[in-house]
Amino acid sequence: MPEAARDRPEEQVFFDDPAIDALLGVVMALAMEHYVLRDRLRAMEEQLVRAGQVDRSALAAAPASAGADDQRDAAAFVEDLLRPILGIQEASGAGGRFSLKRKA
Amino acid sequence: MISDRELDAGQRFLLACKGWWTTTLYSRVREEYVKRAGEADAAHSVSDVAAIVEDLTVYRYFSWLERHLQRMKYSGRYGLARYYDERRENVLGRLNAGEADGMLELRPDIKLPNYYTSVDIHQHPGGVWSDDVAGFVYEHGARTTTPLLGEAHKNLHVRLAELVAAEGEPSRVLDLGCGFGKSTLPIAERFPGSRVEGIDFSAPCLRLAAGTAKQAGVANVRYRQADAADTGFPDASFDLVTSTMLLHELPPKAVERVLSEAERVLQPGGRMVHLDFYYFPDAFARFMHYGHGRRNNEPFMQPVAELELPQLMRRHGFTDVKIVPFREADDLGPERTDTWRFPWTVISGRKPDSPEA
Repeated sequence: MPEAARDRPEEQVFFDDPAIDALLGVVMALAMEHYVLRDRLRAMEEQLVRAGQVDRSALAAAPASAGADDQRDAAAFVEDLLRPILGIQEASGAGGRFSLKRKA
Repeated sequence: MISDRELDAGQRFLLACKGWWTTTLYSRVREEYVKRAGEADAAHSVSDVAAIVEDLTVYRYFSWLERHLQRMKYSGRYGLARYYDERRENVLGRLNAGEADGMLELRPDIKLPNYYTSVDIHQHPGGVWSDDVAGFVYEHGARTTTPLLGEAHKNLHVRLAELVAAEGEPSRVLDLGCGFGKSTLPIAERFPGSRVEGIDFSAPCLRLAAGTAKQAGVANVRYRQADAADTGFPDASFDLVTSTMLLHELPPKAVERVLSEAERVLQPGGRMVHLDFYYFPDAFARFMHYGHGRRNNEPFMQPVAELELPQLMRRHGFTDVKIVPFREADDLGPERTDTWRFPWTVISGRKPDSPEA
């Protein structure tokens, strides 16, 4: 798609440094790609266990409906991925920023 | 071409992210606000809330995710726009839109207003009107608009139909801004003895609406491409005029024109019922809603929420004006502060009976 050819406004900014906005976009794209691959791997494993061989057309077919197990799996993945946003230490110690710069 | 399975997994990932955003992250933002606002929150305005919340890091993540989860739903490798673009011949070929059966009337010469075409609503590239497959993209995207409802998202429209039924059975219904018929079909099914007309600006959505109705075997519905502010129907043609999630997409002047048009096409004693976003339990909910409008490319969400709708409705001839919070599920209503939700509201009024009645 000729993205640059389309005259569109700049993206909205939410952080003091727009680099964070952009970086988060990269992270989320990677996370999504990771999840899609993970899902595909799971499908392949199911196939291998069941039939002992990979069935390409079955791999490409969507589940008839997204079951509760599928949604729970996605929720667990997301819990881990997005938990850092809460900003709470997993093991207690010194918090906040620090600097070793010489004081003026 | 990405496979159905990949699309399904990508969209499932986004829905899970939205679920976390809706519950865990929203609660965290609200807790931070309450902690800082203390006892003062009852007296707060939207700008008071903004002064406290906007600099919170957790709120910035909240806003970023609201904006970009929606972007990823439509755009990019696993976005719905690309998925349907790659399958356009297939999906359009399957669509049996019912033009020949008199269920669908399109007007290729219709003039679409600038407010409708200048913004890609919901971050749907090209909006819901400019691409032949836009109806499919929109329908798929709308399945995850209310993440807590999950697969039960369609029940919302059934609940509205039940609310309407509690006040009597209509015989001639006009559903304004009907889109792909998500609100229209449940009304037509709930009132099989009625004749239902759905109107919208979007030809791709109307084609899908007619195709869906035909497939479902619902014969008492008809779709027409028309402006909700200038429907083209004769005076006093309906005893019920409805809309679902239409008003907040209109500039305030168009809202007034729609009210005036609804009054014109209603018979004396006829009812008007809009399901929209208008009742806010507190300033925090209002603040979140205004931000949602901005982040989701819905520029009139704030101005419409700030309108004095009851006065406007009375000025345009309506009586029995009611603004009632709407529960999208038994356990989801305005009392829930632990989860993000739309401020669903039923906005209704009645055209007075004729003087001789």
